[in-house]
Amino acid sequence: MAEDAPARFDPLPPGIAPIVPTPGYPSTFTHTPSQPLIRRPPGRGEITGPLALHRKLPCGEANLAEPIPGRPAVGQLIHIAGQVLDEDGRPIPDAVVELWQANAAGRYAHASDTRSAPLDPNFIGQGRVRTDAEGRYGFFTMRPGAYPVPGEAVWWRPPHLHFCVLGPASLSRLVTQMFFPGDPLNPLDHIFMAVPDAAARERLIARPLPPSEIGSGWLGYRHDILLRGRRATPVLA
Amino acid sequence: MTPLSSHTVGPFFPEAFIREGDNDLTRTTTDAPPSRRGTPIRLNGRVLREGGLPCINAILEAWQADAAGRFHHPADPEEAQADPEFLGWGRARTDAEGRYEFHTLLPGAFLDRAPHVNLLVMASGLMQPVATTLFFPEFAAANATDPVLALVPPSRRPRLFATPDNAGGYRFDIRLRGSADEETPFFED
Ligand SMILES: [Fe+3]
Repeated sequence: MAEDAPARFDPLPPGIAPIVPTPGYPSTFTHTPSQPLIRRPPGRGEITGPLALHRKLPCGEANLAEPIPGRPAVGQLIHIAGQVLDEDGRPIPDAVVELWQANAAGRYAHASDTRSAPLDPNFIGQGRVRTDAEGRYGFFTMRPGAYPVPGEAVWWRPPHLHFCVLGPASLSRLVTQMFFPGDPLNPLDHIFMAVPDAAARERLIARPLPPSEIGSGWLGYRHDILLRGRRATPVLA
Repeated sequence: MTPLSSHTVGPFFPEAFIREGDNDLTRTTTDAPPSRRGTPIRLNGRVLREGGLPCINAILEAWQADAAGRFHHPADPEEAQADPEFLGWGRARTDAEGRYEFHTLLPGAFLDRAPHVNLLVMASGLMQPVATTLFFPEFAAANATDPVLALVPPSRRPRLFATPDNAGGYRFDIRLRGSADEETPFFED
């Protein structure tokens, strides 16, 4: 990756960033900065970032569905795979991709999740991989359940996967969520709907692969992850 | 092609994703020897939300130049001279009081920039990571001409300076939301 690390970072087009504070999501009203963000031209400290981060952050847990051989987790087995790409559509090798999610019952294996929905002893729901030379990543995991967000006006999060992606620059850092096609909870989710642009929301939804391509072992989804950043010079047509 | 939208990290970022030593910027791996090319410092502080209440379970990521002001990255023309033992990146989580801590080396100046540490904060209730920059008060001359500090309204600049403590460390509190006087200035690149 080294020589062709992205060096140009344009502002996001309108409609991509979520609306903040976010209607229906009360804690954004106590956490989101109230002062306008100060626009700063990207400098050397922003277009750089840690390389070879897999040395610091151990990678490799790509099979979340059966962490102990012979003891599969409960639920619908799925495979999620795609490429991490820059804004020119170029693959980003050596990106660190972190995934975490609820189990099939909508419960996280996390101390902060105090709901009574059952934990699955064979499912932790977290993994970290490093993209290959073509920017590819992939996980075997379980389709997560929906879960309620407690509060005065309760709402249910649709099934979703959390992704943290560390690319070649500080400015290509992304924290995002992936949703499943056709879920009736998607249009009711305050977090999904915080993205104003309908096409941008569509890009957060994984694409189901035809079972004829995948076979009978699991359901397959493709989800490409586009990070900020381009080549320094615009590509001339 | 358009980048994906960002979303909140939520309350359930895995505990196992932040291991002991991940908040140490001086080591390229958890087992590697720390870089000694510079002045070791400790950065610590609290992340606070509206009302000055602690923001617990926030994730912070730090990124900075080495002690000579270089980055181990092709975008730095002096990459070849960068300290090979210094990672410059670390990750920390806030505790029940909103406290975080990093171990690093005092960063060097580069180009027209004063020594500084870039910090990214992610938390439940923050739909996008927020970016701020920590400066050191002792570099008065460099701070006076730093082009990023110059973008910040003068009345808000003091919030970007860490306070030296008497234990070889610096304190830097991050107020996510408050009045113009209270809130930490955040940047959009
Ligand atoms: Fe979630």
